[in-house]
Amino acid sequence: MTRPGGFPQRNPAALLAAAAVAGLVLCAVACAPRPDAATRLSLWEQMDPAQQAVLARQLTEFERLHPGVTVETNHFETDKLRTQFQTAGLAGAGPDLVYGPSDQVGPFSIMGLILPLEGLVDPDTLKLFVEAARPGLSGHVYALADQVGNHLTLVYNKALVHEPATDTDLWLRQAKELTRDLDGDGRIDRYGIVMNLTEPFWLVPWLGGFGGWVMDEQGRPTLDTPAQTQALEFMRSIAQSGVIPPNCDYPLMDTLFKQGAAAYAVNGPWSWQSYRDAGIDVGLAVLPRISQSGLYPTPMTAALGYSMSVHVPPARRALVLELLTFLTSARKVAEVSRSLGALPSRIDVAAWPDIAGNAMLHTSWEQLRRGRPMPIVPEMRVIWDVMRTAYQQVLGGAMSPQQAPAWMQAQAVRKIEELRL
Amino acid sequence: MTRNRTALLFLLPALLVLVAVVAWPFAYNIGLSFTNLGLYTIKDGASFVGLRQYARIFREPELWNYLLRTVVWTAVNVFFHVTIGVTLALLLNKPYRGRGIYRALLILPWALPQYIAALSWRGMFNYRYGAVNLLLGKLGVPAVPWFGNEVAAFLAPTITNIWLGFPFMMVVALGGLQSIPQELYEAAELDGAGRWWRLRTITLPLLRPVLLPAVILGTIWTFNNLNVIWLVTNQGEPGDKTHILVTYVYKAAFNYYRYGYAAAFSVLIFFILMGLTWVSYRRSQRPTWA
Repeated sequence: MTRPGGFPQRNPAALLAAAAVAGLVLCAVACAPRPDAATRLSLWEQMDPAQQAVLARQLTEFERLHPGVTVETNHFETDKLRTQFQTAGLAGAGPDLVYGPSDQVGPFSIMGLILPLEGLVDPDTLKLFVEAARPGLSGHVYALADQVGNHLTLVYNKALVHEPATDTDLWLRQAKELTRDLDGDGRIDRYGIVMNLTEPFWLVPWLGGFGGWVMDEQGRPTLDTPAQTQALEFMRSIAQSGVIPPNCDYPLMDTLFKQGAAAYAVNGPWSWQSYRDAGIDVGLAVLPRISQSGLYPTPMTAALGYSMSVHVPPARRALVLELLTFLTSARKVAEVSRSLGALPSRIDVAAWPDIAGNAMLHTSWEQLRRGRPMPIVPEMRVIWDVMRTAYQQVLGGAMSPQQAPAWMQAQAVRKIEELRL
Repeated sequence: MTRNRTALLFLLPALLVLVAVVAWPFAYNIGLSFTNLGLYTIKDGASFVGLRQYARIFREPELWNYLLRTVVWTAVNVFFHVTIGVTLALLLNKPYRGRGIYRALLILPWALPQYIAALSWRGMFNYRYGAVNLLLGKLGVPAVPWFGNEVAAFLAPTITNIWLGFPFMMVVALGGLQSIPQELYEAAELDGAGRWWRLRTITLPLLRPVLLPAVILGTIWTFNNLNVIWLVTNQGEPGDKTHILVTYVYKAAFNYYRYGYAAAFSVLIFFILMGLTWVSYRRSQRPTWA
């Protein structure tokens, strides 16, 4: 029975009570701890599909060894992983383990989002990892890596390049000869070199090869140097020489190399397996010595590993730690190394005959020895941003290689100050 | 009085939800804007810094560029959303075969998740393999390096957002057109009014009350549209030259961890949008037959 334009003639208190009960039931369903919360682990990662497949196999094995335990994974792109973990972590949520490059350890540890591992992992186990595989700050270890390196190397298509170049003069000569319009339509069908012209990660090896670097020991930017100008001039000359496609970014580089439409690519270990899967006969060489300076390029080296969230409840901590040590155990590190061609993070695994005798890994070690570790301080983000801007502007013609270093340095100093305000 | 109290009690749950998801975050954000919350203060707690973050905003050398770019971005997008939307609505308002199919096809961009659409468009703007340059090549136009300079790089997300946004205006305009009494057109026709005259004196004035709220909404959405610029230009490339205010704020918060500063910037954006909405609202109060 309803009054015209009014409410049903029922007791409002009873209705409210019913609504309150319904609300409480909903809340109870939503908020009650799940019975399996202690055995349901979560892991966020930024792996490429090849590595995801390896991880999936490893997690299946872990679940088989631990009946009743499930591990849920969530994939994000590297940058998204950082922001999502940061946001979730600040709200007291997020996964038990987070996997990513060692440079994310800096901000995560400063914000207090990840746990130091030295008190949790057996010290003798920690000693089995190469130093780069135990990234940390202020004397604490905040991650354990399953691979090290993550550095750029010279990748070549053996069907097109018989002997990889050892210096940049020869490299560019070869690249010119290999750049061809194969069908005579006026468009280049095969390029000598493909390289990412939008990300400064691809500029850094040449910066080091001219004797410069991004930061000093105290973490202060050192971008305004003659080496920076030379590195930018070198990259601009390659970009303008026609041996590399205009506006070449990562997807274009990757696609062209996979299609056999590029002779050389400058890329990292994450890409090698996908090139083999695409049917390319891949060869690996160290980045060619810079003819002008006589020095070898110095790609940035890093580690990829697992960190544990501070929000892991004590009831689950032992199990999460078990998962972490399982994923970084000798067998699993070797599996990652064999499947992906990545350098192992453990000293014991590096000595295993099949790994020590692997030609590609050997070249990768050689390149790693010529590289320099990526600083893991949060200020690196500023350095990347200002270098990216200048790199793109120089290659786009909006800034000269002579102007860029001073601009980069001023911007970096200002933005690092802002970061600390 | 009892009736009102009952009504208020029924409103209470909704009110509580509104406080929790709108009022509290808004107040929290304002509070945050007076602190120095950032990477190095987050662990041990931020301190009150008064209006210092607001002062920093006005010392930002690129502020006026970001603001101007945001205004251009909003104006161009909303202009094309309305123009294309109304034109298509006028075409779809006529009876002809296959009208339903055209209508469904034209609504598709709106139905597509913005994230996916933006990334697909980014791929389509690829210099060598992108559909846009391949199409231009077929027309004899040289390939455009879409992300090579700031003008082309800003044009790319603008085109994407125009494509994404016109169906909304089209649907709104179509609804408005269908509510205009046919008799008005018949009377005008009898008086000798031509097609253009009928459009100017009947259709557009009667569409105005329907379109104005949609334009206000469209302006706010476009002004605050983070996804399209962020994804299509890959975080403001080349060289941070394609940022609008919201993408810059996002970068300050999530790339540089400057939460207090970003909160202050968000408050500023809120007031800009509030001003715009107020002006638009006042204009919408004018009589439609003026």
